[in-house]
Amino acid sequence: MTVLVEKDLQVTLPATVSGRKFDDETAHGLSHCMKAVDFIIELEDRVLFVEFKDPENPKAHAKDREAFIRKFLSGQIDTDLKTKYRDSWLYEWAQGRAEKPITYLVLLGASTLSGADLLARTEALKRQLPVAGPGDQPWKQAFVAGCAVMNLAAWNKALPQFPVSRVRS
Amino acid sequence: MSRISHIEINNFTSFSRLEQDFSPGVNILIGENGTGKTHLLKILYAACAITAGEDKEKSYALKLRNVFNPYEGRMGRLSRRQASSIKTKVIVTRQGGAKLAAEFSNHTNKPEDVKVTGEAGWQKEELTSAYIPVKEMLAHAPGFLATAAKREIAFEEVYIDIIKRAFLPRLMGSTDANRQRLLTALQKAIDGKVVAKGEHFFLKNKQGDLEFTLLAEGMRKLALVWLLIQNGTLLSGSVLFWDEPEANLNPALMGEVVEVILELQRLGVQVFLSTHNYVLLKEFDLRKQKGDAISYLALFRDDSGAVVCNASDSYLGVHPNAIANTFNHLYDRELQRSLGGLKA
Repeated sequence: MTVLVEKDLQVTLPATVSGRKFDDETAHGLSHCMKAVDFIIELEDRVLFVEFKDPENPKAHAKDREAFIRKFLSGQIDTDLKTKYRDSWLYEWAQGRAEKPITYLVLLGASTLSGADLLARTEALKRQLPVAGPGDQPWKQAFVAGCAVMNLAAWNKALPQFPVSRVRS
Repeated sequence: MSRISHIEINNFTSFSRLEQDFSPGVNILIGENGTGKTHLLKILYAACAITAGEDKEKSYALKLRNVFNPYEGRMGRLSRRQASSIKTKVIVTRQGGAKLAAEFSNHTNKPEDVKVTGEAGWQKEELTSAYIPVKEMLAHAPGFLATAAKREIAFEEVYIDIIKRAFLPRLMGSTDANRQRLLTALQKAIDGKVVAKGEHFFLKNKQGDLEFTLLAEGMRKLALVWLLIQNGTLLSGSVLFWDEPEANLNPALMGEVVEVILELQRLGVQVFLSTHNYVLLKEFDLRKQKGDAISYLALFRDDSGAVVCNASDSYLGVHPNAIANTFNHLYDRELQRSLGGLKA
């Protein structure tokens, strides 16, 4: 069983699944010029790129928390999210590892976000990555199979096999 | 002026029994189609309308009939439908305790046969009001009032009333700073001012006079609010009823509409609105400031099929939230599609 931890959030993987911390300066080695998602999880038929954003980290100030939620809802962090995905994909591709379809999962430690908010951000991220190629046609070589923006409740409902939780809980 | 503080409804249309307190500020009615949101607005509006202007001559029963416009004008058709005879009663209460009640049965035909109590005391204090219906009416104003007066059209009286209110002349005297700020904000949104020539309304701006039929419906609604503020219908102590402010409005304009509603509330206008719109609700949630009085009223059918109400002072406390539930369902399906077949 592997537990991947990023500050106050963690995802627990079943024994059959391997995962690694990707946004790690030493292992990544190119942090000065490439952005990175937090984790890469290997499944039999696909790969998961996982990014955690945690405005509700108990150490965060209330003001910063609200500022983040506003930034998130207005789409201002979409650029950050898409760049992390693209750079991570390029890194893995150039290392000869981008062979399986990749699904991008963004976990937000923000319990107050509604289904409408998360739906809107999932759609926005799909457009930004972008999931579809020119003319809204599929890419000849897909570089992202799908993406989803979830909070803890949505994640645990959709992906009970990879439970996420707070480290301190 | 004393605002509406409470309602009690027994066996009226879809309501079996409902007792509900209201906020002196903004009351937001949420619920699926057929849960009585518009009915509630109309019951309260009829009570306000008979305290002012020409409607002062009407009884509460007659005004109720006219705003609901039941088949053949029969009051009994407003009773909750069931196999046996049924007694219907509506009691509206204002701050200070004044009560207005109407009582009838499913067999009652004429408004004169409705037992109305408390009317004289109720009408002593004026409660100016406006009811903005879902359909925009200003563009259809020419000839409408004359036709309606001849009873040639079967429109509910709320449509006639709103045109009459829009035609009221500009309030005399200087405009205070708060009202001017609201008028200026609305002028910015509609890019002009509204002028009436005879029975025709025009938007006056740099390009000249634009007839209302050439304007987007959403713009016409904002123009109507501008008129109601300018002519003093919406002043401190008045009541605004707005059925689905979001109808025909671009979501990008929703923030401004909500800001106008909140500002009116800050000026002392009591507001009742119904909505199906998530953006409108979320704008209230995000724009609400300390001191704003907002009450969310979720109407839904209980196991017996009767409409009941849950009230909450916060958006997150709204339950059941028919609008959010729809989005949650969409989101679940989107996740299923995006993550479909994802196994450990």
